[in-house]
Amino acid sequence: MTVLKTSMRNFVAHKGRMALSAIAVLLSVAFVCGTLVFTDTTNATFDKLFASTASDVTVSPKGVSDKDTRQGRIRSLPGAELAQLKRVDGVKSVTGDVTSQSVTAADRDDNSIGSDTGAPTIGTSWDPTEKRSVEITSGHAPRGPTEIMVDADTAKNKKLELGDEVRIIAIPGEFRAKIVGIATFQVTNPGATLIYMDTDTAQRKLLGAAGVYSSYSLTAQAGVSHDQLKKNVVADLGTGVKVQTKAESSKEAEDDIGSFLDVMKYAMLGFAGIAVLVGIFLIVNTFSMLVAQRTREIGLMRAIGSSRKQINRSVLIEALLLGVVGSILGVLGGVGLAVGLMKIMGSAGLHLSTDQLTVKPTTPIVGVGIGVVVTVIAAYIPARRAGKISPMAALRDAGTPADAKSGWIRGAIGTLLTAGGAASLVVAGNADKAVDGSMFLGLGVVLTLIGFIVIGPLLAGLVVRVLATVVLRIFGPVGRLAERNALRNPRRTGATGAALMIGLALVACLSVVGSSMVASATDELDKSVGADFIVQSDTGQPITKGIADAVHGAKGLKHVSEAKDIEGTKITLPDGKTVTKGLSAADPTYAEDLRTPVVEGDLAAAYGKDAMSVPEGFAKDHKVKRGDTLTVDFKEGRTAKLTVAAITSDDVSLDKGAMYLNIATVERYVPAKMIPADVMMLAQAKDGQEKQAYASLKAQLHHYPSVKVRDQTDYKQEVKDQVGQLLNLVYGLLALAIIVAVLGVVNTLALSVVERTREIGLMRAIGVSRRQMRRMIRLESVVIALFGALLGLGLGMGWGTTAQKLLALEGLKTLEIPWPTIITVFIGSAVVGLIAALVPAFRAARMNVLNAIATE
Amino acid sequence: MTTAVSIPRTGGSGGHTAVAARARQVVKAYGSGETRVVALDHVDVDIARGQFTAIMGPSGSGKSTLMHCLAGLDTVTSGEIYIDETEITKLKDKKLTKLRRDRIGFIFQAFNLLPTLSAIENITLPMDIAGRKPDRAWLDRVVETVGLAGRLKHRPNQLSGGQQQRVAVARALAARPEIIFGDEPTGNLDSRAGAEVLGFLKRSVDELGQTIVMVTHDPVAASYANRVLYLADGRIVDEMYNPTADLVLERMKHFDARGRVS
Repeated sequence: MTVLKTSMRNFVAHKGRMALSAIAVLLSVAFVCGTLVFTDTTNATFDKLFASTASDVTVSPKGVSDKDTRQGRIRSLPGAELAQLKRVDGVKSVTGDVTSQSVTAADRDDNSIGSDTGAPTIGTSWDPTEKRSVEITSGHAPRGPTEIMVDADTAKNKKLELGDEVRIIAIPGEFRAKIVGIATFQVTNPGATLIYMDTDTAQRKLLGAAGVYSSYSLTAQAGVSHDQLKKNVVADLGTGVKVQTKAESSKEAEDDIGSFLDVMKYAMLGFAGIAVLVGIFLIVNTFSMLVAQRTREIGLMRAIGSSRKQINRSVLIEALLLGVVGSILGVLGGVGLAVGLMKIMGSAGLHLSTDQLTVKPTTPIVGVGIGVVVTVIAAYIPARRAGKISPMAALRDAGTPADAKSGWIRGAIGTLLTAGGAASLVVAGNADKAVDGSMFLGLGVVLTLIGFIVIGPLLAGLVVRVLATVVLRIFGPVGRLAERNALRNPRRTGATGAALMIGLALVACLSVVGSSMVASATDELDKSVGADFIVQSDTGQPITKGIADAVHGAKGLKHVSEAKDIEGTKITLPDGKTVTKGLSAADPTYAEDLRTPVVEGDLAAAYGKDAMSVPEGFAKDHKVKRGDTLTVDFKEGRTAKLTVAAITSDDVSLDKGAMYLNIATVERYVPAKMIPADVMMLAQAKDGQEKQAYASLKAQLHHYPSVKVRDQTDYKQEVKDQVGQLLNLVYGLLALAIIVAVLGVVNTLALSVVERTREIGLMRAIGVSRRQMRRMIRLESVVIALFGALLGLGLGMGWGTTAQKLLALEGLKTLEIPWPTIITVFIGSAVVGLIAALVPAFRAARMNVLNAIATE
Repeated sequence: MTTAVSIPRTGGSGGHTAVAARARQVVKAYGSGETRVVALDHVDVDIARGQFTAIMGPSGSGKSTLMHCLAGLDTVTSGEIYIDETEITKLKDKKLTKLRRDRIGFIFQAFNLLPTLSAIENITLPMDIAGRKPDRAWLDRVVETVGLAGRLKHRPNQLSGGQQQRVAVARALAARPEIIFGDEPTGNLDSRAGAEVLGFLKRSVDELGQTIVMVTHDPVAASYANRVLYLADGRIVDEMYNPTADLVLERMKHFDARGRVS
């Protein structure tokens, strides 16, 4: 009981000193809980949306996949079953639906009215009898081929009004229609753009034929279960179609979006985890310093009979209190964070309603659990050290004893770990197979990180001395005092710097990988891409016939190459084995646009009639030789016998492992309707007409907002921008860990100032000015920050370089160290050090000299 | 009997006045209203240059407060304090800090040294932070005098309490301040080490012409001084020249008794 009381009193008495630790716990827990609440809410929103749109039983064609959208393939039901379904037992009503996501809608200025965030544009039939998740709120339902209705969010965001004309580009072609109605969602629509038209228009314009449907929606009669109805339908229609109950179809839709949300959730939790790790250093430092400051007090308690265990426990209980307070605030903060995230997402186009804010009971449990466990673990070592304080400490003069020497054991273990990690990294860098290498890379990263943390205190001594000779000497005696202060407790400096090191190492590593990606892509474009222009869709829309024609119609082009992915092809090898692979069908000029070296044969021959190429590795693995005949079973067509006319090199980074054949060959075996749309078009300009050709292409494609044409310069820029965006996102998430680390620097300085009150008083008494005092603390802070930055950047560049060496196998061939970024981070760390010292320096300078001297 | 202004304003030593520091009608009060406590009650005092002055008095008499005010460590409620001809009671922190750095030396009872600096670094610290080069010959003489020649590279925690105080004395002397203030400089030392330190202080006054003001409650320590000021209830109640330990003790007993009676 007394133990608890002492802990409570200590906790309350030192709440100022605990504040930053509590904030660290709070931030980490808030990030974890915020992620959970946000993803749970998003899931709940989608669940509700899907549940409200799915009918009791849905019948759809077999083999429908997400790829159909990109490949511009139309799958439909002939419509004959509609009458048949009406007679199935238990059916109350049946409607035929038409839906297509291969739709782009453009306004008068040829700008897409679709979502900017990657949410789909859905063209669909409007059937007033059907159960709907929307209501018409203005205008009327669309009738006839020139009328459409759009959803209210889209109308608002894209400033569309009744009477506006919209151009709709679908697979069969494009058409114009007027907006006659606006429909509002009755559940939260996270961002899809909806375009309604009457069923006949939808059938002809979206599916390309009258009377066909995308799916049938069945309603069950009262008393008939969905499962029963499904059974009846299957019995009647057979297995040629896909039949799903409401539960099944919503689950399928949820799984699609859920897997994306899971990736996001685990990525964010990963970053939260890093912040938690960094927070541990802060907490360890706080408790170490509290214990050190309380040495005499603890000695007294030991002297009057407290057992080691009691002392130990009293410190741990303080940690527990800290953990509980920090975590509870963190859980609340997490909910706030989730709401903030939803607002941000809302302005970016993903609309989520706070009505559906989902806080599962597990969320606070997980949050508080993590916060408490982490805090108690972090306080364990300082607590043990407190227990070891001898009763004699009560009698010794005050003043904090210097921390026990870091010792050679620490050095040995740290060096061993680092050496082991470095060895793993070397192995990873020289690995032949990416899979083996990545394992060593992971091991190397973890070992070097732990190694650096362990020898951090020893490195602190070395690095601070070096930094001191370079930087601090300029500042004379104040610099020397700062250096000595940074060195006086290497363990503390080491831990504070290590916390910063973790975040910065990741920043450095990712920036190296990112800029290597850009450099590799640029090199590869220069080396092997002969095409002047690249036409692609950034939104996953198909390059429809109309778009392809527009490209062909551009002036000043020498040639245009179309490229298609033929998926799911079964290839029977000479030895009788069968493998399923995708083929790359292209025009013969593709070989000039993307120069793939061959090890045998001639690539041009592979584009001949009934010929193809295979990559080197495939040929080796399956013992395929040039001139062999492969039996190729096209998924959507007939079986062909193709001759291997060329074997391509595997030492490439674009189209690695591709098997080429002529589109004309595919056309012989696959019905025109089932041939996928182009995934990409490449073009070369006539000599000297590059500028005109680019302008002409742009003009031709202006009508098609779903695709973009880029020349090599723009393409490189695009790659750079995309990598840059991704890096910025990751840096943003790492910012949390870095903020916690900076709090750690503030914490260390603030507690040091408290600990050195008497010294500060003495210095002020003998004539150190306030300005000198502030400068001394700022310099100490800068040195600690630079120490962390130096370690982190060094470690990160090592990781990044190894990752690049490893990924060279996957095409990341060029190593580029982004020196501007690295130097910016280094200088930025010094600035951060200055900022971290602001408050502690101010407090030190303001300290009352006499009170300071009189402090025990 | 509340003034100790008894020395001529100008004396023989160079351009300086014979008074190193003086207080005029100095009041130091804490709190206000009913809780008001007066630590110094209209004190007038002159500190003679080149002399060793001891300030004595029972606990709570205000002797430490007087020293702190004289040294520019503490502010006064009213009245004026001069170091030489500079009125320090009007100075802002910046000027005051500079004054302490350049013209005053300190020796505290304990914790005089920065643990991160070696003995010699501690000794030259005030000059270092002022950006002044120490006078080599003088420094050697000071170090010689306090007998630390062999221990200059040691850190404070490698020195005994007496040695630490001697380093503090050396620091105070090294910059040749106009005046050195000691706040019970031997309070934490055993009698032998204390005698050593006091011996140095006395010698620095006698041989080096240093001015020293020391607060103490130890009659033996006070006996090293040229002059002893007695404080009680925030006033100077008596003074004694060329004291001996016995005389001081006798006088103290007298005050203690009077204090108890009143």
